[in-house]
Amino acid sequence: MAGGNEINANESKMAVPLNTWVLISNFKLAYNLLRRPDGTFDRHLAEFLDRKVPANVTPVNGIISFDVLIDRPNNLVARIYRPAPATAAGSIPIFTDLYQPPSYDTFPVIIFFHGGSFAHSSSNSAIYDSLCRRFVSLCDAVVISVNYRRAPEYKYPCAYDDGWAVLKWASAEPWLRSGKEGKLRVFLAGDSSGGNIAHHVAVRAAESGIEIAGNILLNSMFGGNRRTESEQRLDGKYFVTIQDRDWYWKAFLPEGADRDHPACNPFGPNGVRLEGLPFPKSLVIVAGLDLVQDWQLAYAEGLKTAGHFVKVVYREQATIGFYLLPNTNHFYEVMEEIKEFVRFNL
Amino acid sequence: MFTQIRVCSAYPFVIFGFSVPLSGVPQEEKEMKRDHQDAGGGGRGDWYAVAEQEKGKASMGTDDGVDELLAALGYKVRSSDMADVAQKLEQLEMAMESSAAANDDVLFAHPAFDSVHYNPSDISAWVDNILSELNAPPPLPQQPPPPPAASLRHQFDLSPAGTEQYSIGTVDHYSPADVYELKPQSSTASLRDRKRLKVCSAFPSSSTPTDVAAQQVVVVDSQEAGIRLVHALMACAEAVQKDNLKAAGAIVKQISVLAASQGGAMRKVAGYFAEALAHRIYRPQSPRGVSCSSTHESTAFDDMLHQHFYESCPYLKFGHFTANQAILEAFAGCRRVHVVDFGMRQGLQWPALLQALALRPGGPPSFRLTGIGPPQPDNSDSLQEVGWKLAQLAETIRVDFRYRGFVATSLADLEPYLLLGAETDGRGVEDDEPEVVAVNSVFELHRLLARSGALEKVLGTILAVRPRIVTVVEQEANHNGRTFLDRFTEALHYYSTMFDSLEGSTSPPSSPEARRHGQAMSEMYLGRQIYNVVACEGAERTERHEALAQWRARMCRAGFESVPIGSNAFKQASMLLALFDGGEGFRVEENDGCLSLGWHTRPLIATSAWRAAGDPLRTSASS
Repeated sequence: MAGGNEINANESKMAVPLNTWVLISNFKLAYNLLRRPDGTFDRHLAEFLDRKVPANVTPVNGIISFDVLIDRPNNLVARIYRPAPATAAGSIPIFTDLYQPPSYDTFPVIIFFHGGSFAHSSSNSAIYDSLCRRFVSLCDAVVISVNYRRAPEYKYPCAYDDGWAVLKWASAEPWLRSGKEGKLRVFLAGDSSGGNIAHHVAVRAAESGIEIAGNILLNSMFGGNRRTESEQRLDGKYFVTIQDRDWYWKAFLPEGADRDHPACNPFGPNGVRLEGLPFPKSLVIVAGLDLVQDWQLAYAEGLKTAGHFVKVVYREQATIGFYLLPNTNHFYEVMEEIKEFVRFNL
Repeated sequence: MFTQIRVCSAYPFVIFGFSVPLSGVPQEEKEMKRDHQDAGGGGRGDWYAVAEQEKGKASMGTDDGVDELLAALGYKVRSSDMADVAQKLEQLEMAMESSAAANDDVLFAHPAFDSVHYNPSDISAWVDNILSELNAPPPLPQQPPPPPAASLRHQFDLSPAGTEQYSIGTVDHYSPADVYELKPQSSTASLRDRKRLKVCSAFPSSSTPTDVAAQQVVVVDSQEAGIRLVHALMACAEAVQKDNLKAAGAIVKQISVLAASQGGAMRKVAGYFAEALAHRIYRPQSPRGVSCSSTHESTAFDDMLHQHFYESCPYLKFGHFTANQAILEAFAGCRRVHVVDFGMRQGLQWPALLQALALRPGGPPSFRLTGIGPPQPDNSDSLQEVGWKLAQLAETIRVDFRYRGFVATSLADLEPYLLLGAETDGRGVEDDEPEVVAVNSVFELHRLLARSGALEKVLGTILAVRPRIVTVVEQEANHNGRTFLDRFTEALHYYSTMFDSLEGSTSPPSSPEARRHGQAMSEMYLGRQIYNVVACEGAERTERHEALAQWRARMCRAGFESVPIGSNAFKQASMLLALFDGGEGFRVEENDGCLSLGWHTRPLIATSAWRAAGDPLRTSASS
C-alpha cells in the first residue's frame, strides 16, 4: 500500500492549507499510536499528548470561561464560556459575576459536545476551547462544553448520560434563562462523536418534554454495518480510514453489538421512530471529503422522513476538521450558517 | 440584574483555582481593560474583528516565525519549517505502515511503541523522536534480572519522626523500583536536544515575570451560604487592602458565624483565612506571629505536618516521583553521582531513588547526598540523623553511599565550593570518574523571593556547581502578586481546591481514624502556608509561590534551559494516583516539558527539570 499512500498524502495535501494538514496529520498519527489492536486504548499517552488549556475568568477577546463540577461521583465537569460580565473597572470578576445573565435580551445557550470519536479529547482540549470561544462571539451565546466520559473505558450510554445530566443542570440554572417568558433557549451542538451525542440527547429531551431550540451537527459520527459508497471511495484518502472508524465504534458500542446498533445507526433497522416527537430543528454540516458523509446524509434524510426540519450544508471540498482553523472559506461560511441558524431559531 | 443562585445539590462547596495559560495563548490585557469599561452588550469580542485579525495572521508569520494559528492550539511549528514538518509526518506514516506490515499488522509488537515521548507541542522534535525509535535496531536483550531479593521489592517506609529505625515490610504501595523506568538509555535520548524549539526563546532578557496568568475558577457546586462566605472573605480582604481595618474587623467576625454553618472543606478553608485576616487586622506590626518568623522554622512538629501531607495526598509523592525520574534519566550510565537536596527535612524523597539506583541495569553508582536544612532551635541534629538512616538503608541494598548535611539559614548562604567540596572521608580526592550532580528543590525556591537578590545568588550557585540536572517542584499558583488583594484572591482559589481534594481521598491502607488524622494534619500544614500568605509581609512572607510560566522566565533569564519530562514519567505518575480513592479527580498534565498534578482541571503542583543552557549533553560514560 506504500505507493497508494503517497498518492493519498498528495491528495489530502492539496485539499487543505499546509498548517491544517500538519495539524490533522499530527492528530492522525498520534491517534494511531493510541489504538491497540486488542481494543484497549493508551489513555495515559493520550492525556500526555493532548494539548490542554486552563479556564480563565480574565477576559480574552471579551470572553471568560470557568469550570463547573456538575456531578461529583462521575467527576463530570463542564466548561462554561460566556461574554465577560460587566464589573467595576479593572477588577477581577468574582464568583457571583460569573452567574449573571450575559444580556437583558434573549440569548442562546449552546451545549457543546466535543469530538474525538468518543475516545479522544476533553472539554479543556485546546482545539475545543478555541472553537467554543468562537461560538460565544459568533452567537452571543453562553456555551457549555461537556467533559463526557469516553470510550473504551466508558461505553454507550455513558456519554449520552453525561450530556443529559448537563442539560438537566442547565435547565435548573436561573441565570441561563432569558426573554419575556424567562426560559432556557438551548441548542445542542457537536462535532464528530459530539454530533452523535447531540442527536441522542435531543431524543431524550424530546421524550421528556425539555424544549431544544435546535441541533447543530458538524461532521457528525454515524455508521452502520454496510459499507457505503463514500466510505469505500474515500477510505484512507483524507486522514480517516474505515478501519479506524470500526475501532472507535467497537470501543463505544456495547460488547457484542454491531454497527446497526441505534446509537451508531439511528435510522437503521434498530432505530427509534421519531415521528410525532417534538424533535428540534437540525443543521447538519457535511464535508464532501469525509468518508462518513453517506451516513450523515442518510441521517438527514431520516429526520426529514420523520417530519422534522433539517438543513444540510454540504461543503464539497471540505475535509474533517475544517472548523478547527480559521483559514479557509469553509470555516467562515459554515460559521455564518451556524450563526444564522441560531439567530433564526432563538 | 443579579439573579439569586438556587441551591443546586447536596455539595455545599465552592472552590476556585488559579493557573497559567499554555504558552502561545494570547493574553490581551488591553482588550480586557476596554471590556471592563464597556457597558452591557459591548462586553463580548466582535466576531468580525477577531475573524479579520486571524485572517491576517493566517497569511503572515509572526516575529519569532511560529505559526500563530497552530500556536493558539498548543503547537509550536515555525512557519518556515512547515513543509519540512509535513514531510516528516509523511515519512513517519510510511514507517508506521511498513512496521505494521512487517509485524503481520500487529503494529504494537515493535518495541518502538514503548518509546518515550517528550514535549508534544514541538511537532518536529516529536516526530523525529518516533522516527528514530522506529529506525533503531531493537534493544539488546536485558541482562538477567537480579535475583528476587525479597527486601528490595518492599516499600521502604520512613517511620514517623521520633522513632529510630526504618521499617522494612511489605506494603500495598507501589514498589518504586518497579515503577521507575530502568530501561537502558537508547541513543535517541539525545534527540531531546536536537533542534528543539527552545522554551526559553520566548523570554527576551529584558522582560520581567509579569502577572500574565490565567485566572482559573473551578466551581464545585454551590450553595448560597457558601457564596456569601466567599463574598465576606473577599470583602474583608478588600477592606484590609484599603487599610480600613475597622470595617475589616467587623467583617471578619461575620465570617466565623457564616463559616460555622458551612460543612466540609469550605468551612476549614474559611477558618484558616479568617484567622490569618484577624491576625493581620489586629496585630499589623507583630514581629512574630505563628509561623511568621524565619524562612525555615522547621521544627519536629513542622516536619511531622509535612510527613502527614506527604502520606495523605499525592502532591508531594508526585513531586518526588517525577523529580526522581528526571534525576534517574540524567544519571544514566554515570558511575559517580551526587544529589544536592535544598530541603532535606526527613529525606522522604531519597529511599525510592536509592532503591531505583540499586536495581538499575549495570548496577548502582556511587551515591553522594548533600542535605541542606535550617538551624534547629533545640540544637538537635536531625539533619545528620536523617543521613544516618539513609546510610543504613543504602547499606542493606548495597549502594555505596556518602552523606553530608549543611545547616543554613538561607540557601543564599551557600557557596559552590561547599557543595562541590573535596571528600575528607579518606577516599582519594582524585578520581577517574567525574561526579555528576543533580540539584533538587522541593518548595524551596519561592522562599528566596522574600529577599532581593537571593534567588539570583542561589541560581548562580547552582550553575557554578555545573549540575547535569536541576529538579524544581513548586506550587502552581501566583501568591506573590503585587497587591494584597491579588494574593488573597489567588490563595483563596488555590487552597479551596486543595482542601476539596483532601476530602474523601485516601491513601490506603488506612483506617478512617488514621485518614481523618492525616487529613487534619495536612490541613494544618496548608493552613500555615495560608497564614503566611495572608498575615505576613516583607522578609517574613516566605510563601511567595509563583506559577510555572513565571519560574520558566526566571530560570531562562538565569541561564538555564528546560529538560523535558517525558511520557514515561507521566504515565507512571498517573498510575500512582490510582492508589488514592477519589483518584479520578486528580489529573496529571503535560505543559511544555513540565508535569503538573491537579484536582479536576486545576493544576496545583508542578515539576520542572533544567540544566545550564548550551551545555552539550555528554554522551553516557560506559556503564
